[in-house]
Amino acid sequence: METTDVKMDETTQGVTKSPSGARIFWREIVRDKLALISLIFLVLITAFVYGISLILDQKEIVTVDLFAIHQPPSEEFWLGTDYGGRDIFGQLIIGTRNSLSIGILVTLMTGVIGVVYGLISGYFGGHVDNIMMRILDFFLILPFLMVVIVFVAIVPKYSVFTFSLIMTAFLWMGIARLIRSKVLQEKELDYAQASKTLGSSNIKIMFTQVLPNITSLIIVTMTLNLAANIGLESGLSFLGFGFPESTPSLGTLLSYATNPQTLEYRWWIWVPAAVLILLLMLAVRNVGEALKRAADARQRRG
Amino acid sequence: MKKISFSKALFALMLILLLALAACSGGSDDEGSGDSGSDDAGTEEGTDEGTDEGEEGDSEAAEGEDGLYSIEDFSTDKTNEGEAIEGGTLQYGLVTDTAFEGTLNWNFYSGTYDAEILGWFGESLLSNDDKYRYTNDGAATYEVSDDNRTFTFTIKDNVNWHDGEPVTAEDWAFSFEVIGDPEYTGVRYGADFTNIEGMEAYNAGEADSISGIEVVDEKTLKITYIKASPSLLTGGIWPYAMPKHIFGDIPVAEMDSSPEVRENPIGFGPFKVESIVPGESVTMVKNEDYWQGEPKLDGVTVKVVNPSTVVQAFETGEVDAVDSFPADQYPDNADMSNVEFLGMIDLAYTYIGFKLGTWDSENAEVVMDDSKKMSDVNLRRAMWYAVDNDAVGKNFYNGLRWNATTLIPPSHPEYHDETIETPTYDPEEAKRILDEAGYVDTNGDGMRENPEGEELVINFASMSGGDTAEPLANYYIQSWNAVGLDVQLLDGRLQEFNTFYDRVGQSGEDDPAVDIYQGAWGVGYDVNPQGLYGHKALFNFPRYESEENTALLEDGVSEESFDVEHRKQVYSDWQKLMVEEIPVFPTLYRSLLAPVNNRVQNYSIAVDFNALHEIAVTEEEPIAAE
Repeated sequence: METTDVKMDETTQGVTKSPSGARIFWREIVRDKLALISLIFLVLITAFVYGISLILDQKEIVTVDLFAIHQPPSEEFWLGTDYGGRDIFGQLIIGTRNSLSIGILVTLMTGVIGVVYGLISGYFGGHVDNIMMRILDFFLILPFLMVVIVFVAIVPKYSVFTFSLIMTAFLWMGIARLIRSKVLQEKELDYAQASKTLGSSNIKIMFTQVLPNITSLIIVTMTLNLAANIGLESGLSFLGFGFPESTPSLGTLLSYATNPQTLEYRWWIWVPAAVLILLLMLAVRNVGEALKRAADARQRRG
Repeated sequence: MKKISFSKALFALMLILLLALAACSGGSDDEGSGDSGSDDAGTEEGTDEGTDEGEEGDSEAAEGEDGLYSIEDFSTDKTNEGEAIEGGTLQYGLVTDTAFEGTLNWNFYSGTYDAEILGWFGESLLSNDDKYRYTNDGAATYEVSDDNRTFTFTIKDNVNWHDGEPVTAEDWAFSFEVIGDPEYTGVRYGADFTNIEGMEAYNAGEADSISGIEVVDEKTLKITYIKASPSLLTGGIWPYAMPKHIFGDIPVAEMDSSPEVRENPIGFGPFKVESIVPGESVTMVKNEDYWQGEPKLDGVTVKVVNPSTVVQAFETGEVDAVDSFPADQYPDNADMSNVEFLGMIDLAYTYIGFKLGTWDSENAEVVMDDSKKMSDVNLRRAMWYAVDNDAVGKNFYNGLRWNATTLIPPSHPEYHDETIETPTYDPEEAKRILDEAGYVDTNGDGMRENPEGEELVINFASMSGGDTAEPLANYYIQSWNAVGLDVQLLDGRLQEFNTFYDRVGQSGEDDPAVDIYQGAWGVGYDVNPQGLYGHKALFNFPRYESEENTALLEDGVSEESFDVEHRKQVYSDWQKLMVEEIPVFPTLYRSLLAPVNNRVQNYSIAVDFNALHEIAVTEEEPIAAE
């Protein structure tokens, strides 16, 4: 936990060690009722969605049924059907799973790339830093949306994973910059210098000494990024550049609402997806904010 | 097509393209790229085949119950209620989410929306009847010589341009000269023009004038064609004059960007252009000097209406009428209180095509290839039996599209042969045909292999655009899977409009990955299908040819076919041949709907409607919905 080790002594027993990061995070979340509810909601939704989708047959859900088009919610179709006679509830579950999967995958991959990139660039500094940052600048100025749209158009077939890769390719820069600036400060601190003097290898200092000291920053940024990435995926799918309709996502469900008839007369197609996106992003954000406070001793409530 | 604003524009574009193609009856007009339309057929606003559709006996028939509609319940003419007032301005909407181009000249326009606008002020010299044939009721009359090759036109005396100058034979001949000019920039020059004597020499710059076009006197024009064909009478003659006193001094290459086309276009129609807001609206006032009599309306405002708000535009009385209404929005709005829905059978059909060969661009002709995946006619027939188009029409389109039978749609009731038996949904029959033809599952994966025992994976290309595009494509794939055929969506997704037609072959470079595709054609006024299925036609996307096909198509435009009975027989035989050979099979016929505000009188979308000046209104403002 950064440089706050000393103050924490009294809260620990036995071995003199500061409370673990996880514990601080946990305490902060419990203190913040909103964050706690959000976390519970997130865990439940994730478990529910991944659990149910094991039972659901995606192929069956995206099967067009000519004789069940635009059915309102009923016992057979809990949330009605869309213009292809496909069950909205099933699509919502699978869609949420797909959207979450992409969000998480993209967050993890951008996290890994960004952290490593930032760490190397910040730690070595000088020319290395200069060159790496110019490369990063190049990626930054690419018009993200346009390039992704072109990519999606060119790549003939894509799955959850390849789609995540495409998004990752243009989303790792933010976190890399953040980490680099933090590492620039961190490496000047005494512990890093001392370790260097004692002859530790650069790799060792970077990954076993500097990295643990910036984990809180990484966790916080990645949590907040998760919300953004879910939103981004939904946005792309909404615009028609995400998944084909045979792979439902929250964005494709939402895009049905671009049809004025659906918007006006068939709320069950798009309202659940819209509400779910809103709740998911709010919940992730609430948790993320709590973590952010936990990472900064001055803002902590617990 | 359904829903989504964006889709509607694509659909419109598609139809423009299609109309254009169908109109190139000569077959080898390769310039019809992407979205350039060249509708030689002279579409006035609204196209319909009017009264004859009553007996057209499709499986859909009039089924009022179950939320189904039938096009037979719609009239093409507005019923009149109440007393018309003096004057008034009609608000006419163009349903599109893009701007109109504003190339407001018949010789140069390429978009349907420009054509819609042109229809209000720039009239055709020749009017046509409900069978799309030219009549003598228009601004010009015609006589045909005994050998059917020479036409003598007489322009009526009181036909004057908006600036007061008379419309002369010279103006009409000038229109031909512009299109035939080597510098001409538009898309009209094609088989209909090269068929005029001396036109090719003129186009090549070898002659100073077109030998086949003779200005006899101020009002009389004589045109001689190389080859007589019944197609000439259904849109084969260019019926639009161009004011020579205005365009005479402008170089042909600069005409389409000139202010005379873009800003101050003139015609001799019932309304004249007062002002243009580019891409948005055109305000017109009545032409008091109109040859059929002074128009009853004071003017017309033509403006762009977004497809997603077109219903609201009608409800609030923002528009009185539109060029076409998204059919998928009809069921939810059928009982709108302030409008009457007019409807007719659209000149179009949707179809599934099979790739049977390739395009030889050097000789500009189709080359059949017997080793293609789809070369076996039994396979194609089984695929026809496997799909339930009747259910598609009823469930996706509420009966406003319905099971298609032959390749000449019922919009041409004279030639559409409804007695022909075509495969209808029968999956058992499909399986039987496949079993007999040797398509059986030999490796136990549930999917049939071809008679040689190799895996058979059929790639299906379909267009995006339109909300039903996706479920519809998936429905077809499911249906084929259900009879054991492994059909896959090409690249796992729908293709964008232009990509789709590129890969299917609009540039002549067919993508070999495409095995079958779903497309749609708009058909021209002229029934002749040579432009789509002739062996010299680039738009023969299935790349199908056979001697019999060529012979029948040739016969359909031969001199004998001036006899309607003979022509009917020829096209009936051709429709039968297509059902036997199945290079493509039609899936759905379509209807075209147009709501009109209750205050409007004497309005019609019928194809032979040529009385815009009679349109009147009963109130100053459009009536709003209750």
